[in-house]
Amino acid sequence: MGRGDVTEESNPNAAAASPRNPIIQVEGIRKLYGGIAAVDGITFSVQPGETYGLLGPNGAGKTTTMRMLSGLAPVDSGTISVAGIDVVKDSRAVREVMGVVTQHDGLDGGLTVFQNLILYGFLAGLSRKHAKNRTHEVLEFFGLRDRSKSNVYELSGGMKRRLAIARSMMISPRVIVMDEPSTGLDPQSRNRVWEELAVLKEAGVTVLLSTHYMEEATVLCDRLSILDNGKILDEGTPDQMIERHAPKEVAQLRVLPASLRIVREYLTQREITFREVGALVSVTGLNGDRPDLSGLNDVDGVRTSYRAGNLEDVFLAITGRELRD
Amino acid sequence: MNFAIPTPGIRRRSITGLWLRHAVAFVRYWKFVITWVLIEPVVALVAVGFGIGKLVTEVEGAESYAEFVTPGLIMGSAMFHALFETSWNAYNRIDNDVYETALTTPITVLEVTLGDILWAITRALMTTIGVAIVAVIFGWIDGWLAIGILIPAVMMGALFGAMGFLFSAVAPHTTFLTLVFTLVATPLYFFSGAFFPISILPEWVQPIAWAMPLTPGVHIARGFALGNLDITHLWAAIYVVALTALMWPAAVYLLRRRLIK
Repeated sequence: MGRGDVTEESNPNAAAASPRNPIIQVEGIRKLYGGIAAVDGITFSVQPGETYGLLGPNGAGKTTTMRMLSGLAPVDSGTISVAGIDVVKDSRAVREVMGVVTQHDGLDGGLTVFQNLILYGFLAGLSRKHAKNRTHEVLEFFGLRDRSKSNVYELSGGMKRRLAIARSMMISPRVIVMDEPSTGLDPQSRNRVWEELAVLKEAGVTVLLSTHYMEEATVLCDRLSILDNGKILDEGTPDQMIERHAPKEVAQLRVLPASLRIVREYLTQREITFREVGALVSVTGLNGDRPDLSGLNDVDGVRTSYRAGNLEDVFLAITGRELRD
Repeated sequence: MNFAIPTPGIRRRSITGLWLRHAVAFVRYWKFVITWVLIEPVVALVAVGFGIGKLVTEVEGAESYAEFVTPGLIMGSAMFHALFETSWNAYNRIDNDVYETALTTPITVLEVTLGDILWAITRALMTTIGVAIVAVIFGWIDGWLAIGILIPAVMMGALFGAMGFLFSAVAPHTTFLTLVFTLVATPLYFFSGAFFPISILPEWVQPIAWAMPLTPGVHIARGFALGNLDITHLWAAIYVVALTALMWPAAVYLLRRRLIK
């Protein structure tokens, strides 16, 4: 799946937003667990209607940040404001207006799909009648209407995830925070989730999401931060980030094990930077220019292809490590 | 103590919502749960009342052993239900992130415990009423005063509802929860005067038996069932309230530590 329209900077929602009034404002938040900083002074802001991503590997501090925003983790220092509400002082008020999708779907196995939603709506403050009406709407929107009487455990992983997202929509929030919306889903379900998030965005909903999939960040986010070891390393639109940190082009060599030694020697001798990911050798070496790999054309078991630089390369360039380890 | 979620007053909707959730889940699975609410305690009642009742011809303050043992068995059942709700069931709700989901709405941990304890009380009342009706049919409970058994049922529901959280909130896995039964429920069941008067225990055991949290419940229930209330039943009630007042805040503290971190 390529980069869709949603990442274009000319997105109407993002453009219409006043840069002076962010709907989410996070400043210098810190969180220690057993003396180790899980989140170490993070600052960012999200404009109304924007989809903002926190991209980083597992353990980067994404989930902790999301939990602090929704009041599930107390901050040690720093401030968070969402829709003008001070989260640190009054997390209850924030949870009246903000939708939250936690990392694990947190669906209630004792209840049906319908009951899960209506209960959530009621707890969130809707009248019983309103909650019921809204449940019908939300089930319709997420294509889960014929599942409304199902037990939660009868649903596929993708449906569970969509139900969890649907649940956060019960209060028609202006802001949703989503912790890894598509982790663990098969590609088909992931696309479905992405489509639905695109529709939410179109409706003007602000989304803050965390992810360790660079595809997800590329497809969904207007802007993103690269997060590692509890710190933000850089921030920008996906295109800006790629331009700033990634090579224009990356050569990918599919190498059979027998030829691996020859390829390594060839690249090392010419001081071409490369990295090995499984059976793939990625050559990111030369700045903008295609490295000279002509000498490998005659080697048996080497297939060369070229792709554009992506956020994975950005992450590697900034941290020196793979996004997925 | 780190109060992550400030609690400016208690929001009634949170408690109602959770109670309704439990009621709906209960009704969905009533065919299974009813066996425990009614059938299991009635089996015990019949076995002990008719069986052991035949062997025991004399027991202080009661006309028959069945009359003596009925309020004890009812309170025992109330204890089991309340404990189970907030230990095993609550642990599953922790483990399956059901509480976490609830906490993403404007609800506090304190309200979570209140909603669940209210449901624990409801379960204690259900089993109490169910078994008491059967006992009335057998003629082992009579007199309008016996309706008062509902009072200790509520008290036991609240006390053991709060106590169950002390286990679920710290349990690393479900096997840990076995302790609820081995350390709490089973010893209490047999040493709280449900089956025999505490006065026949060795003298050094008696104070321990009296201190056990089920004992005052059995004592009060028996007072109502046999119609011989006196000042000791008031002391018992005060003791239960005091224990609950200790355990509930501890439950809130531990559950908050578990969920908000």
